[in-house]
Amino acid sequence: MEKIIKSRVIKYGDGVNTDVIFPGRYTYAIMEPDEMAKHAMEDIDPEFQNKVKERKIIVAGRNFGMGSSREQAVTSLVYAGIKAVIAKSFARIYFRNAINNGLLVIEQKEAADFIEDNDEVEIDTEKNEIRVRGKTFTFPPLPEEVLKIVEAGGLINYVKEKIKREA
Amino acid sequence: MGKTIVEKILSSHSKDEVKPGNIIWLDIDVRSARDFGGPNVVKHYKEHYDSEPVDNPKKTFFTFDLVAPAKTIKYAINQSLCRRFAREQGIKVYDVGYGIGTHVLMEEGHILPGKTAVGTDSHYNIVGAIGAFGQGMGDVDITFVFKTGKTWFEVPKTVKINIKGSFEYPTTAKDLTLYILKHIKTEFALGRAIEFYGDAVESLPLYGRITLLSMVTEMGGIIGYVPFTEKTVEEVKAFTGRDDFEVFYADTDAEYEKEIEIDVSGLESQVAAPPHPHNVFPVSELKDVKVDMIYIGSCTNGREEDIESAWKILKGKKIKDGVILSITPATRRAYKKLMEKGILQDLFDMGAIITNPSCAGCAQGHPGMTGEGEVSLNTSNRNFPGKQGKGETYLVSPEVAAASAITGRITDPREVL
Repeated sequence: MEKIIKSRVIKYGDGVNTDVIFPGRYTYAIMEPDEMAKHAMEDIDPEFQNKVKERKIIVAGRNFGMGSSREQAVTSLVYAGIKAVIAKSFARIYFRNAINNGLLVIEQKEAADFIEDNDEVEIDTEKNEIRVRGKTFTFPPLPEEVLKIVEAGGLINYVKEKIKREA
Repeated sequence: MGKTIVEKILSSHSKDEVKPGNIIWLDIDVRSARDFGGPNVVKHYKEHYDSEPVDNPKKTFFTFDLVAPAKTIKYAINQSLCRRFAREQGIKVYDVGYGIGTHVLMEEGHILPGKTAVGTDSHYNIVGAIGAFGQGMGDVDITFVFKTGKTWFEVPKTVKINIKGSFEYPTTAKDLTLYILKHIKTEFALGRAIEFYGDAVESLPLYGRITLLSMVTEMGGIIGYVPFTEKTVEEVKAFTGRDDFEVFYADTDAEYEKEIEIDVSGLESQVAAPPHPHNVFPVSELKDVKVDMIYIGSCTNGREEDIESAWKILKGKKIKDGVILSITPATRRAYKKLMEKGILQDLFDMGAIITNPSCAGCAQGHPGMTGEGEVSLNTSNRNFPGKQGKGETYLVSPEVAAASAITGRITDPREVL
């Protein structure tokens, strides 16, 4: 995981659901990463493909990722170049899928309110800080067990490493 | 300190201390993947574990319920990938035609009260209806469970929803569910387990419990439970064909994070308008909305009783010219019962389309898309933009769906009874 993620942001509202992040009509009809990236967010933001060229952080409202368990709603954003999502809250399945696929997800209500579209934001994953327009917001670290999964690059790798260590 | 229902089930499946907020390693009784998540599960599995055996093929299943049968070559290839892997590993496939995976796994007696189950379906928590713990997960998570029989899970806090008062037919479990959603939206229960109490929920038959608890996902919740009554125990025995199970109830001193009371006295039919399931109005406020297509089915309202209830309203009436009515029983078993009762014949004669058991229009997998400007009523659980095509989707009970098929606009069933 990168220690500092610095980028302008793309901002959305509440309830950005998995159907608009990666439409059901493409789920498993398209499995190539480049193609998946092209369809990310197309039902909510036709301009997303242009925006994501320069902007690598999404900021959103409540319950980001609500809906389907489809992992493509995480991986399509990762393939499109998104490094992190800051939201007021996340749907739980989405949160897990993000952790399992190396997408940084941060719950920070105040920051999600304060940050405006196109703001330059810096996420410090060591200090657990979000810095924007001279303000600093802190966010709680992930639980230790979960952090280990993220650092190992996902759940399967984590357990493989653990088994190796124990052997 | 006593335990809530979810805490009891998790405790019976973990060596770790089950306390809200703790991350525990959980033993999983049933693991499954569908035709959507399945191909990626196979891909991940081969990449990480090659041809090593799965943890337990008898507890592992594929269920094809989304694009069933495959409508494009890509989907066909994906399904054949899963079938081949299943043959190599000795895993049972409930193939195209069986119906909705979670329903089939309960009917076949694999998922039982007190058990744990996970799969690539965000409505997997529907198994809360039979007192099991279930959770929808992504492909990586399910791959891991296939191999190890375990997963990590953060023990959720439990919230309590007390339902006060009662309502009468043709108001049913779906209306109750939508009304609860209207009140709690997606924040109250986000990431929480929910326990529902009160006569109006505890008296719900099993199929009504399935409706309510399938939509805990739309409430943002992890899983929901309604305490079993004696009648529920009997219904679950008949449904699963098993009686070797343990039912968990909450301790009287269990700890709840918060409680809310919702009064449903005299509740009328409810409708969720676009663009999300908690955008709910009484049917009377939407009665001028004209309808092009109506779908009755899905994991939320696809049981034989749901379809029978719609049929009772439609019987002896005519489907309005220009309205397409499509009916999808949840499973083969539901289909067979409706066939034996002559209900499907009746619906067919009225001009309804009867499709094979599946998830129908959900996830744009099977039949049931709308074009721009068209309005559909659906007894399913999500009406997000694009979910079921370019048109607008309203979520309704089977009773409102049936009444609206007669008039061609959103209709209070009492109008046509």
